[in-house]
Amino acid sequence: MTNLAIQIKGLTKIYPPDNRAVDTLDLEIKEGEIMALLGPNGAGKSTTIRAASTLCGFDEGSVMVAGFDVDTHSLEVRQAIGVVAQQTGIDYFLTGRENMMLQGHLYRMKKADINDRIAELASYFELNDSIDNLVSTYSGGMRRKLDIACALIHRPKVLFLDEPTLGLDIKNRKILWKHIDKLNKEFGLTILLTTHYLEEADNLSHQVAIINNGKVQVVDTPDALKNSIHGDSITVTFDDVGKNEQAFFHVAQQQPYIKGTTWEDNKLHLYVEDGGANVAALIAVAADNGAKIINLSLSRPTLDDVFLKYTGSSISEVKEDEGDEWWKQWAGKGGNTGKWKNQWGANDSDAEEGSESEDQAWKNSHWAKNGDNGENLGTQKRDVAQSQPGAWSAKQQQRPDSNNTTSEQGSQKWDQSQQGDWQNNEWNKNKDGGEK
Amino acid sequence: MLVDTWHLFNKCMRITMRMPMWTLFTLIQPLIWLLIFGQLFKDFVQLGDDDYMAFMVPGILVMTVLFGSSWSGVSLLREITAGTIDKMLVSPVSRIAIVLSRVLHSSAQVIAQAFIMLFVAWLLGASLNMNPIYLMMAMLIVFLLGVGFAALSNGFAIALQREEPLVMIGNLMTLPLIFFSSALVPEQFMPDWIQLISAVNPISYAVDAIRAVLSTTPDMAVFGKGLLVLTLFAGASLTWAVTAFNALRD
Repeated sequence: MTNLAIQIKGLTKIYPPDNRAVDTLDLEIKEGEIMALLGPNGAGKSTTIRAASTLCGFDEGSVMVAGFDVDTHSLEVRQAIGVVAQQTGIDYFLTGRENMMLQGHLYRMKKADINDRIAELASYFELNDSIDNLVSTYSGGMRRKLDIACALIHRPKVLFLDEPTLGLDIKNRKILWKHIDKLNKEFGLTILLTTHYLEEADNLSHQVAIINNGKVQVVDTPDALKNSIHGDSITVTFDDVGKNEQAFFHVAQQQPYIKGTTWEDNKLHLYVEDGGANVAALIAVAADNGAKIINLSLSRPTLDDVFLKYTGSSISEVKEDEGDEWWKQWAGKGGNTGKWKNQWGANDSDAEEGSESEDQAWKNSHWAKNGDNGENLGTQKRDVAQSQPGAWSAKQQQRPDSNNTTSEQGSQKWDQSQQGDWQNNEWNKNKDGGEK
Repeated sequence: MLVDTWHLFNKCMRITMRMPMWTLFTLIQPLIWLLIFGQLFKDFVQLGDDDYMAFMVPGILVMTVLFGSSWSGVSLLREITAGTIDKMLVSPVSRIAIVLSRVLHSSAQVIAQAFIMLFVAWLLGASLNMNPIYLMMAMLIVFLLGVGFAALSNGFAIALQREEPLVMIGNLMTLPLIFFSSALVPEQFMPDWIQLISAVNPISYAVDAIRAVLSTTPDMAVFGKGLLVLTLFAGASLTWAVTAFNALRD
């Protein structure tokens, strides 16, 4: 068992009363490898990272990081890892240098060593010009880079990145990818990252683990995963799924060239051998059955198709999972036994009733076994990304914006609360009012 | 642990120094009390030889401490939300240091505020004992009271998990506790039941101790009693806060 940087066996984490956020999850990451955990929100990615980085306990299983058991040798594990959480944990009222200095002190490094490291990392992440400015003047991309630089100050062997590019625009995301890739290649850093950008997993990682419902569905290289879907992908979008369309679906399934099918709302994904040659035949089948196709596209399979295959839902449909959940996630077991649990319960059910869309209802009835992505966590579906016909890239243009709403709320809250607590209260009232 | 505490404390102080206005803001309310009530009650309160101003200043000092330190928990919740605490928790830093540095920072802030209040009182002509040794002793009480209430505030923050109820509790706690103490009214003027509460109220002991050393005729016995009670109080609250913080993770 040499060269395993992270070894997770049978990891189970139960949030009371009976929510298995992570359910007998197994995962192995070799030294010097980048592994991407890909999955919808609430799939258990963050919980896995939190458990492996000693931030929360777990109910069953064992986790070894850098050769140490996180349960019994958490101090050694902490010394060996760097963590970049979803929220930037850097202080906005300190300069970049002060943030890194503090971080170095927390790892009990010598002052001269810290200074060397700051100089090194600042030039590596191209932060030299702004290292002595207050972080509150930084852009989102710079904050992210500083955050990663802080996590690297003590030369960790393993780096955890929880949604490293969340809320960044495409340009900044690409810059960050370049840095992450370089860190891995030049310094042999083992990296475990979570993401719900398929492109990120595809570009960056050696291995992709698709996680859903707290379990690892599949682990492989991005290419192998794409190859596991045989042939080409044809996506057919219907105006409305009625009798004719269902009839077409049944006949299409019988065709010898169809290797697999997956429904996604009013879209049907068909995996077809030699798609270019058979697309005409497929259209003929549709015409015979009177199915109204409003859009048809033919493509090579992407990780989105892989994701669809293993989780039963497209990743772009996944709902945002923010809001009051933070405390539960943060406090581990403690959160749910708190006095405010009942209040949370009330908020959650309100939110769910309010935004249950017809689409969603349809999907739930047809895909009952898959319909619980995130929903059984009682999430607030503030941000239901519309499923769009068309390529993944179109959705990607949209995603940074929708993600920004959550991250900006965070910083808004921060800024306001610094101005005074009476304002902060006022703001919270408004926020609560708005959600109900 | 102490080194960790020092670094974290330094960080908190640095942030505070960058926005000194906030420290001054919390002084507005005690200042209003000092100026208005001091003037208002001056003439119809009969306290024998002492003037009411001199009687009231220790009470107002304690009030400053309460107003200042009961916010400490709010910023803990804020730092948890912002992910700052997580960043500390994944490092090998001592967990006790995280709570301790916050509490100490709050106390340091409160001491600075207390000095400003004393200065204002001196400007207003309160006849106080300004001997530096006695001043330091008064500040020791201020410090212990600050530690106690900042720790309570952090403990409540963890127990309540939300800012709104925390602020509510903070407000609920401070004003009645001040009225149920000898801060503004001498004990002999209180109804019996308030005297009873006052006797178990750490604030009473703090006020009495500060009053004892700031008086022109210092009373060491009263100061000693206050020091003992407050040390116990600060120790107990701090222990509770640290335990609550550690119990959050399993």
